[in-house]
Amino acid sequence: MNSTVESTRARSRRRFGIDTVTETGVAALFFALLAVVPLFADDYMIYILPQYMLYGVLAMSLALLWGFTGIVSFGQAALFAIGGYVMGLCMGLTLPINPGYVGIVAGAAFSGALAGIIGYFLFSAGVRSTHFVLITLALAIITQQIAVSQSWLTGGWNGMFVARMSVSPGAQGSIPGDTVFYMFILVFSAGCYFVVRHILCGRFGKILAGIRENEDRLTAFGYRIDVYKSAAFALSGVIAGLAGSLYATTSGFVTPSLAGVLFSTQVLVWVAIGGRHSLLGAFAGAMLVASLSSYVSAIIPDYWQLIVGVLFILVIIYFKKGLAGLVESVGRWLQRRKAA
Amino acid sequence: MDLAIQVAIDATLITLILALVAFGLAIIYGLIGVINLGHGAMLTLGAYFTWYCTAWGVPFVPAVLIAATGVGLAGLVFEHLVIRRFYDRPFETLLLTWAFFLIVTELIKILYGTDFKSVTNPVPQAFVIGDYRIPAYRSIVAGLSLVVIGSTAFVFYRTNVGIRVRALIQDRNVAALLGLNIALTYKIVFFAGSFMAGLAGALISPLLSIDPYMGNTFLVRSFFVVLVGGMGQLLSGTLVGAFITGGAETLFALFSSQAVAQTVVFVIAILILRFRPSGIMRPK
Repeated sequence: MNSTVESTRARSRRRFGIDTVTETGVAALFFALLAVVPLFADDYMIYILPQYMLYGVLAMSLALLWGFTGIVSFGQAALFAIGGYVMGLCMGLTLPINPGYVGIVAGAAFSGALAGIIGYFLFSAGVRSTHFVLITLALAIITQQIAVSQSWLTGGWNGMFVARMSVSPGAQGSIPGDTVFYMFILVFSAGCYFVVRHILCGRFGKILAGIRENEDRLTAFGYRIDVYKSAAFALSGVIAGLAGSLYATTSGFVTPSLAGVLFSTQVLVWVAIGGRHSLLGAFAGAMLVASLSSYVSAIIPDYWQLIVGVLFILVIIYFKKGLAGLVESVGRWLQRRKAA
Repeated sequence: MDLAIQVAIDATLITLILALVAFGLAIIYGLIGVINLGHGAMLTLGAYFTWYCTAWGVPFVPAVLIAATGVGLAGLVFEHLVIRRFYDRPFETLLLTWAFFLIVTELIKILYGTDFKSVTNPVPQAFVIGDYRIPAYRSIVAGLSLVVIGSTAFVFYRTNVGIRVRALIQDRNVAALLGLNIALTYKIVFFAGSFMAGLAGALISPLLSIDPYMGNTFLVRSFFVVLVGGMGQLLSGTLVGAFITGGAETLFALFSSQAVAQTVVFVIAILILRFRPSGIMRPK
């Protein structure tokens, strides 16, 4: 009897991805490591890593949909870019408080609301997940086109400069240096991770997993799956918008290509390689692939994307859990060795 | 009045050309349910093969045939290596064909570079009927589109091969029990779809400038053509879907910019998908 209970629990653990306790530990370790990086990294790394962390946050917004809810969106880049443009517009305003924080809230709210509305509009009609992919793909194209054609608002092809925000809440704060900004973004990313993780570990996350595993059964239990799916997409929009607004002020620049299909593809590749069933995997995967891509494409510019494409196919066919799954199985193997 | 006729001519040509562009997808996605996000890459590949052949001095018509066959074979190889294991998991095919797009695009970039290429228009003249000038090459492609779609529909509805394919779509297991070679039939359909995509890419290559991402703009449009028309409706669905997406774009482009027109058409297509999820030509 006892062993049955045990094995059920183990199975449900496996289903929900990495072991709950372990992942929190690994995540804490990972963020702690990132926190000490500025002590021995060079200036360029301190400058560029925050951007990769925000890519990581964007990747989490997709993992939450793909790995936890079972729907894939090709429009995450659009939501990211919208957050960025909203931030850019807010930074141009004169406000009694720090416009940066207004931009973050507005960017997240705008992307989240857009995702929620689109999500509800589609899911309430029972639009299939494959059609959802195509519609979000169209969303990326439409957003890019609007960003290009409405140049009075967005700066067109040339993009929009966004000043770096100050971290103090007042309107006249000083512009922080790279190290301070690094810590600011790190705290933000870690905060995002733990909040989303908390949400997913709770009741809401379990219902999403139920939808992923068996939609019909959840409907039979009386859950409004359209509402839950829309809420998941809205949450994902909020996170993508947050990441986008911070990215704009971190990199100092937003362009229409940030909204496009190719950037959305990048996000998909990060999440697939990092591991779609793990938020931390997606986050680390994005940081890893983005860093590798800037290093490797400096050496062999032509072949890097090709390697990424082949890797993507291999991960989809043979290695669905990605890097997070690899880490998990190595961890299990070590545990077994210890037990033996 | 003049304007109306000119617009009608333009809309007809665009509808038929778009139908041809989407036809390969209508076969692969509409018939065997593989969500082929590599369709755009197949179009691009067809255009590049044509450019490459004509650059070597091959006349245009053989170049088009070589290009279409080449893309068909590329599709066949991809099917054999990857897709054939995933026919029962459509969602995975979506990701895998997207990877096909990534890989093909990168290979094109490595082999041919990223600069724009062009294929000279083999029939640059225009037909003049009364006051109207109709570009000759476009109308030839439009006519070919009708011929190709019509004859494929004939094969599909009136021949033994068509019966096999329809049996496969209707019930894979029963068809297999009755002795149909499932694996081979899938291969035939996949080859046919890739061939058609390559043919379309080859035929439209003189009409546009060729770059590694040229297929992308057609990818989403092609999907909307197939979905708006209704999956599995080879003849009527493709034509009606192409008319709604292509024709509407021509009309809207009249009084706004091309970009706005495309956006509006995408929105219309999304609305149709939302309210008629199985397409216009399919009974509810």
